[in-house]
Amino acid sequence: MTVNPSPFDDADLHAYADGCLPPERVGAFEAALKLDPALAARVAEIRALSAALRAALDPIVTEPIPERLIQAAIGRAHGASRSRWLGSAVAIAATLVLGIGIGWYGRTIDIEHDGTPTSFARQAAFAHALYAADVNRPVEIWAADEKRLVTWLTKRLGLAVHAPDLNNVGYALVGGRLVAGNEKPTALFMYENADKQRLSLQVRRDSDTHGETAFRYAVEKGVGVFYWIDDNCSYAISGVLDRNQLLSIAHVVYGQLAAFDTAPR
Amino acid sequence: MRRSSPDAPPLPHPDLLAAIPRLRRYARVLTGDATRSDDLVQDTLARAWEKRWLWQAGTDLRAWLFTIMHNVYMNQLAVARREGVSISLDSESAHAAWQLPVRANQVDRVELLELVAQMGRLPPDQREVLLLAAVEEMHYSEIAAALDVPMGTVMSRLSRARARLRRLVDEPATPLRIVK
Repeated sequence: MTVNPSPFDDADLHAYADGCLPPERVGAFEAALKLDPALAARVAEIRALSAALRAALDPIVTEPIPERLIQAAIGRAHGASRSRWLGSAVAIAATLVLGIGIGWYGRTIDIEHDGTPTSFARQAAFAHALYAADVNRPVEIWAADEKRLVTWLTKRLGLAVHAPDLNNVGYALVGGRLVAGNEKPTALFMYENADKQRLSLQVRRDSDTHGETAFRYAVEKGVGVFYWIDDNCSYAISGVLDRNQLLSIAHVVYGQLAAFDTAPR
Repeated sequence: MRRSSPDAPPLPHPDLLAAIPRLRRYARVLTGDATRSDDLVQDTLARAWEKRWLWQAGTDLRAWLFTIMHNVYMNQLAVARREGVSISLDSESAHAAWQLPVRANQVDRVELLELVAQMGRLPPDQREVLLLAAVEEMHYSEIAAALDVPMGTVMSRLSRARARLRRLVDEPATPLRIVK
């Protein structure tokens, strides 16, 4: 039994545990906590419950994003209820096309297993490792000259390339360069965050690859690479980053490139 | 570089894309079903594009999307109720339906799945306040704005949600009672 009724009620307890108690009341609450182990235990219990919910639900945010939601985010899809039947019709058509494609091109494409990246992913990782480590000259043309950079790379690749804007995920464009590939030149855009961590996006035109693939992941010499093929182009995003961070950036890049492709010309 | 036409929608693609994972989590908690939750996210994004003029550039896009999702879901619930369709959560199958990719060690995993299954038994209004406060760590005032309710309502729902969840976890309801 407490002699003095606590000036704090249940709502205050939750507000304190959630960091939502008005600042002017926090001091008094913390003083009460010191005197009342039961109150402290309840705060700890609420926080433990929140932590458990986060542990249970956090994995959802690192799941791969379904393609239909990427389309919806860039304003290219209707509501789920309206587009459901249309979506499945398109999916069936795509499966047919893909089936034919795989039947034909599958003969010349190396079979990929987990952990055996294609030469493109390996090259992307090596190019990233080489140029990202170059403090003074990571790029040939700096971001200040973005327009010239994009024009130049577009000309050399014979393909309209764009430097996606990754400022929203904390990476600013440093610039870009041309990288020698096996047979074809590859465009490299370098980005850097506030901690001077760098990542690069590499784009190559592939006349002999068709269709599109899902994101694939490889690690080469500590550099993580997400790579995919879309519309006759191979893309790779590389960096010494956690797999999920890199994947979320790959989604942003993919979404922006898709938006470029559909923007009115 | 190509530029959008002058009458192009003002919603920023990167921000919308970046918001998807959290919208999916919110939807999963609301619907308790992986497929239906992605339908809800898609409907929410479509509505956001329809109502894009209502979003004020510079304000928190994620909070605005949460508000839209809340409204879309409440509408769907009302329609379902009117048509006599039950879309209440079946907590017995919640483990499977939520499709939780829990990456914890095996002991934790069972407990976490149980916790989430019990969370699915809370009324939707308590579930969403709990998600926004405990998981999204939004301030009560932001939650009140997103759900368009007074802050006092947020606080009382949250307190009830936690008390009820605690009871549910402490005494998990066994569907088949053994009668002696």
